[in-house]
Amino acid sequence: MSSTVRMPPPDVWGVGRVAVGGEMIPWPVSHADVDDETDSHVATMRRLGVGEGDVVVICSLLSEAIHVFPLEQAANAVGARYSSTDATEFDAFRTAAMVSQVSPVAVIGVNRDVVTGLRGAGRDLREVFGPVKVVVAADEDAREALEGAGLAPRRWLKLGPVSGFECAERDGVHVDGSRVRVMTTEDGGLLVTTTVPRLTPCVDLATGLHGEVIERPCACGSTDPRIRMVPAPG
Amino acid sequence: MSDRYFEPDAETMPRDQLDELQEEKLLGDLLPWAYKRSPLVRATWDAAGVSIDDVTSMDDFREKAPFVDKDAIRRFRDTSNDRYGGLLCVDPLRAGGPFTAVFSTSGTTGDPTLVPSVTSGPSILTREFWEMGCRPGDYFVEMLFTYRGPGIHHTIRGIGATPVFVDHSPFEFPNVYRLSRELRPTGWYTMSTPLILALEQMAPAMGIDPRDMFASYKGVIYAGEPLGARARALLDEWGVNFFVHTGVADVGAATECREHDGCHIWEDIAFVEVLDPDGTDPVADGERGELVGTTLVDKIAPLVRYRSDDLVRVTRERCACGRTHARMWPVGRKSDEIVVDGVSVLPGDVWPAIESVAETEAALFQVIRPARELDRLRLRVGFASEGPHGLADVRDRVIDAVEACVGLVPDVELVPNEVLLRQGPPHKIPRVTKQ
Ligand SMILES: [Zn+2]
Ligand SMILES: [Zn+2]
Repeated sequence: MSSTVRMPPPDVWGVGRVAVGGEMIPWPVSHADVDDETDSHVATMRRLGVGEGDVVVICSLLSEAIHVFPLEQAANAVGARYSSTDATEFDAFRTAAMVSQVSPVAVIGVNRDVVTGLRGAGRDLREVFGPVKVVVAADEDAREALEGAGLAPRRWLKLGPVSGFECAERDGVHVDGSRVRVMTTEDGGLLVTTTVPRLTPCVDLATGLHGEVIERPCACGSTDPRIRMVPAPG
Repeated sequence: MSDRYFEPDAETMPRDQLDELQEEKLLGDLLPWAYKRSPLVRATWDAAGVSIDDVTSMDDFREKAPFVDKDAIRRFRDTSNDRYGGLLCVDPLRAGGPFTAVFSTSGTTGDPTLVPSVTSGPSILTREFWEMGCRPGDYFVEMLFTYRGPGIHHTIRGIGATPVFVDHSPFEFPNVYRLSRELRPTGWYTMSTPLILALEQMAPAMGIDPRDMFASYKGVIYAGEPLGARARALLDEWGVNFFVHTGVADVGAATECREHDGCHIWEDIAFVEVLDPDGTDPVADGERGELVGTTLVDKIAPLVRYRSDDLVRVTRERCACGRTHARMWPVGRKSDEIVVDGVSVLPGDVWPAIESVAETEAALFQVIRPARELDRLRLRVGFASEGPHGLADVRDRVIDAVEACVGLVPDVELVPNEVLLRQGPPHKIPRVTKQ
């Protein structure tokens, strides 16, 4: 067929990124990685109350695809559908529109830009997200703004190439103990290691985040470790 | 067979076979399916007094099938308490099956409407990615929004290439520069005018040499508002081989081939007509008219005779590339048209004039359109600087350029570029405004 001899397609699903501090590390993941993360996030969907016949809105950026695509597939795996919006000021109107049009049980990924966009459009956060059972914030600014509006937001924390979510107890971000190990440095810096085979190895990756790791079971019944966020020292 | 085509049989199918295939797919499959299941199709046909039994040929379809448009879908959504606007042909409460996600239209013409979607497998854009010259084993930059779903990831993998995910934002250029030099990607989806203009401004401070950044790309897909002369010149200066890409009545997309002589509409997935914007008669091949689309493949939420509001020219003459499918040139939007003293003016008509004045060369402008028929052409135009002789002089030069271009003397209000940039999503500002 082709006159040029081509390399066979690599086993790379895509090249995403992991942010460490302000730095971007290109992060290739394989098909197997994506499927394994999907399996892991089936528990996330249950934790967020997403089940058969539900719709979940996922608000994100394309650069977060390696974290987000497994969530989309996990939503489908529990029999739910998902809807996508951009986590930007300009697209904040869409997150609000989707909440009123598809009546999601959960909105994942509200960040500071979405909060700014909604406020800029004169929208009240409580009015926009009030009808949604579970709202998940992607950063601390958004979490505080949602809490200030009388809502009970949960955290979504990206830890290197993986991510975790708070349960209804809102007492620490659950991480999947069967796939991920989180350690702390002396000053509380979070180091993440993936303990299952992955295309791009992740060993004691300094996430630039600070927190404490809680090993005792959560009131929700989960025995997975949890991470409580603390501000960075200094 | 040349390896130019991804699906040679489909892409170069003789015209008579393509016509037969359309008839088979539409009358034998899609239409009976949609008529039976889509509440909007059934209500529209009932209201028009047309039954599916009245349509036994393509001529019947052209003559009798009633139209729908975006307003009809919104109206159905709001009056029937049906969030999918009567389009959905599968049971939304049944879990599983191909209906796995709910995306939405861009929403630039009002509130976004829902697009119930299938999320597995590549789209037909594999044909254009292949035509650009991208091949298995290549890296392919996906610089996009998320709200239309993961279809492009699957399409890039569909040709055996690997997606590299970046945001559709000028602040990503330093990352793209680095990834371009490290991975040498061959394809890019998509570039837009605001990104091109931002790159020109920000490249020096970001330490980016655009020629170097684009060096490895065999093709860059350009989407969004019509590409102006200035953005086009920048892409040429940077050595970018770009391919214009545009939507087809919400039933597909059309993209240039390497001949760059119109955007190919894939007629094995969509039946398109070009009709008199104020009526129902077809216009001649190559004439300006409104694009009307009917899907031949979407069983989830099929559009049947959807009036797109897009003004286009379409030809079915065979392309020099050997493909037999129609080619289209977007002209503007019907709802953007104004008529002043009997002269029809679209934003694209005044664009070159505004670009030709140095202080307004970014062509950030809006046509003030309180109604379709107007006494005066009124423009709001963004400026980058006040120029050597002040704003009054800039305004005079804009007025002269527009008059020379469309034969009408406009009223021009000048505002700083930033004011207009704040008005829209980063890939496009509204070109028409009520006030
Ligand atoms: Zn818990
Ligand atoms: Zn061609």
